[in-house]
Amino acid sequence: MKRLITGLCLCFFLQPLLASEQWTFNKKIAVTAEPVEKVFHHLEGAGRKHIAISDDSIMVVWEDDHSGDPQIYLNSIKAGGSSFSRVLQVSTGVEAYEPAIAALTGSKFVVAWEQDGEVYARSLLDQQLSTIFKLSKNNASQVSLATMGDKVFAVWREQQGRSWSLWAAQLGLDSSGLITVLKKSRVEPEELSTPVLFPTIAVNEAGLMVAWEDREYGHTRLKYSASVNEGQSFSEPQYLNEFFSNRNEYDKGNGVTRVSMNSYGEDEFVASWMDKRRGGVGYGIFAAQGSDDSFGPNEKVHSKQGDSLPHYNPATAGNMVGDFAVAWDDYRQGNSDIWMSVYTEDEEWGVDFSPKTASGEGEQSHVSIALDESGNLHMLWVEREKIDAPTRLWYSHGVRN
Amino acid sequence: MNLRKLYPVSFILLLLSFFTSELVAAPPEGYDFLSLNKAMKQSASEQKPMFLYFGRYGCSTCRKMHKEVFSDAGLNKELSEKFVLAYVDTESGNRIRLPNGERTTEMQFASRNRILGTPTFIYFSPDQKALFKKAGFQTIDTMGLYNDFVLEGHYKTSKLKEFLATK
Repeated sequence: MKRLITGLCLCFFLQPLLASEQWTFNKKIAVTAEPVEKVFHHLEGAGRKHIAISDDSIMVVWEDDHSGDPQIYLNSIKAGGSSFSRVLQVSTGVEAYEPAIAALTGSKFVVAWEQDGEVYARSLLDQQLSTIFKLSKNNASQVSLATMGDKVFAVWREQQGRSWSLWAAQLGLDSSGLITVLKKSRVEPEELSTPVLFPTIAVNEAGLMVAWEDREYGHTRLKYSASVNEGQSFSEPQYLNEFFSNRNEYDKGNGVTRVSMNSYGEDEFVASWMDKRRGGVGYGIFAAQGSDDSFGPNEKVHSKQGDSLPHYNPATAGNMVGDFAVAWDDYRQGNSDIWMSVYTEDEEWGVDFSPKTASGEGEQSHVSIALDESGNLHMLWVEREKIDAPTRLWYSHGVRN
Repeated sequence: MNLRKLYPVSFILLLLSFFTSELVAAPPEGYDFLSLNKAMKQSASEQKPMFLYFGRYGCSTCRKMHKEVFSDAGLNKELSEKFVLAYVDTESGNRIRLPNGERTTEMQFASRNRILGTPTFIYFSPDQKALFKKAGFQTIDTMGLYNDFVLEGHYKTSKLKEFLATK
């Protein structure tokens, strides 16, 4: 009996250890200075794309209000480095929010963001920012980015009066890094009379994939649409989240929000989102894997240890080798910590684990992750002493074991 | 109810400003629900209690309450005349600024206050203290009792549970 109990205990404790041993996380490195009263950092961009890797450069982007107004900033670190370099301000207007970053080859990056009700982009090479370029035509926000090699794609939403539209564009960079729009088209073929929210985009050899929140039918649903011609046209939108409706005459389905998506391998995608199908225990983290122009069935990402509590702010990462992961925050240990899961060889999501560098005292939340081609995990998150305290950004590097 | 559980909510009491960029979700028709910031300012200036409704676009229990409870003329009159009404869409990207100076979104505000489901209602006293939180479907009668608990000042001397036990 004693052996059985010992064995069960070992199984219980060893399983999460095995999952977390996919990476060994290095000591966390500060991205921003010590917390300052009334200064708050945010990682709230559409698709949660706040960290990107090109060659040996890791670039992060965020919004904070240390200048008195919310603005967008970048900072970088070399792979294996011990400190970040210097903060660069990206935005140029009165107020700026919800940035996204994506990497090109040769330590080049593109960043996009909302500024004074419009969407802008600029590139970065050798710590030199290009001239800013306005992507949007009308009132616009919630931009997201994806890259493959030196091809850059953006998606954002626009509002004109009571009409909403979702735009995707392929961006080009000249030798000085100046951005131009090579192709631009609507994702939904016509303007909508209801909002579209928080679109995100991914790209691989199969083409482009866009996912977003749609409120067309009196209820939020996640939709996706694919393009095989680099964004010249998009397929008819399909539903990403499965429905659990008709519980009563008022029910149109459960809540879903904040989809994050990345490509992995040559032609596959992974999307994750907050999903309220579990009822009164708040949002769960659900995902779907896709290839070519469609997604498979929905999968619960968090393991049963997280079944009775809510989870927030999912982020996805993938690489060309075929690795992918989902990360989020929840307060199963009392305060908010970063948690993550990887897909196992058994073709199911593994046991959740919380990297020590991004858990423990204080509130750790709003993680953004990226995987390099060696399978190492790069992680950026917001940390604060308590829920209404000033914030600081941290980075940690998980070395693939 | 342990009011310490409502601590995170209490810090909305000094909301400074509110930026709105899109349609709100769906508060019940026939009511003048305000954005959180406007409601807080009005509650403070008029010394009226505030009724805060956390809803979600497409929420089925919210729809049911709109049709079966908020449609009641008496409840409408009492809430509209004696409370300042605020609505928060728990999936919205609408921006709000908190008393600590932080700008966040309605969705983030709801999640940090651990709102697990919708509808969730929080009643505030005229001096803007969070009194109690109720989640899920409520009947017209129970809503009336909640209103009485606040409007008649019973919260000053007893807990909601004690008050309801006397009814």
